[in-house]
Amino acid sequence: MSKEKPFPEYKRKLGPGWWLANSHFTQYMIREWTSFFVAVFSLIYIYEPSLFASGAKVDALNLLRNPGIIAFNVLALLFTSYHALTWFYLIGKIQPIKMGKTTSKPWQALLVNILLLLIVSFAVIEILVLR
Amino acid sequence: MPKVARLHAILWGIFSVGGFIAAFLLPVLIYIVGIAYPLGLWPISGQDPTTSILNHHHLGTLFLFVTVAGSLYHGIYRFQSTLTELGLARAKRALEALGYLIVIVGILAAAYYLLMLNPGVLSLP
Repeated sequence: MSKEKPFPEYKRKLGPGWWLANSHFTQYMIREWTSFFVAVFSLIYIYEPSLFASGAKVDALNLLRNPGIIAFNVLALLFTSYHALTWFYLIGKIQPIKMGKTTSKPWQALLVNILLLLIVSFAVIEILVLR
Repeated sequence: MPKVARLHAILWGIFSVGGFIAAFLLPVLIYIVGIAYPLGLWPISGQDPTTSILNHHHLGTLFLFVTVAGSLYHGIYRFQSTLTELGLARAKRALEALGYLIVIVGILAAAYYLLMLNPGVLSLP
């Protein structure tokens, strides 16, 4: 059998700015860029224990007090929170729960998971920081 | 299931777990370490939070490792995919290779340094 296709395949070419074409694409791209902040914060935070372990604790703490790093961390918190909210909403869309005749809505999954996020965050602070 | 598809499914599964970790555990870590500590906000008073967390040997070390490793994998996996959608599709293989290199080195470094700071973590509680 010939591998040639009976018709020419149309490959749509997308430029780097395709995500500005409509607001859904733009929202999608903002959601994807949350990963940049998640990854960079993780790398910065791996660097900190390495300084602790090599005895340069003062340098590690000074790094955290750097205004540029603080500004990045504020942005990272905003983008990570956006990641969390969109992730929770997607869970509700991908895996709705059926209870009798009703099926859960994505916003319900969002609310339940926001509540869980708050409980987990307070538990971490209470158990690992305040005790 | 073909081997490549199985591997892809496993990697996607880890990516998804990383997404949950980044959603549930990373925001509080960013806040306490990166914002509350340098700005002197609640709940920090005095001691830096990394030392406080590591003082809770097993649980604290596990929390830091899981949060950082899971978030790093999720973030890098998703970001290299984003770059291919922004016109770097031709460099997909190179981006994947670089991404996995960063993930492997990053996770091994996190494990190594956290073990150095808390060598007793390998013993049972």
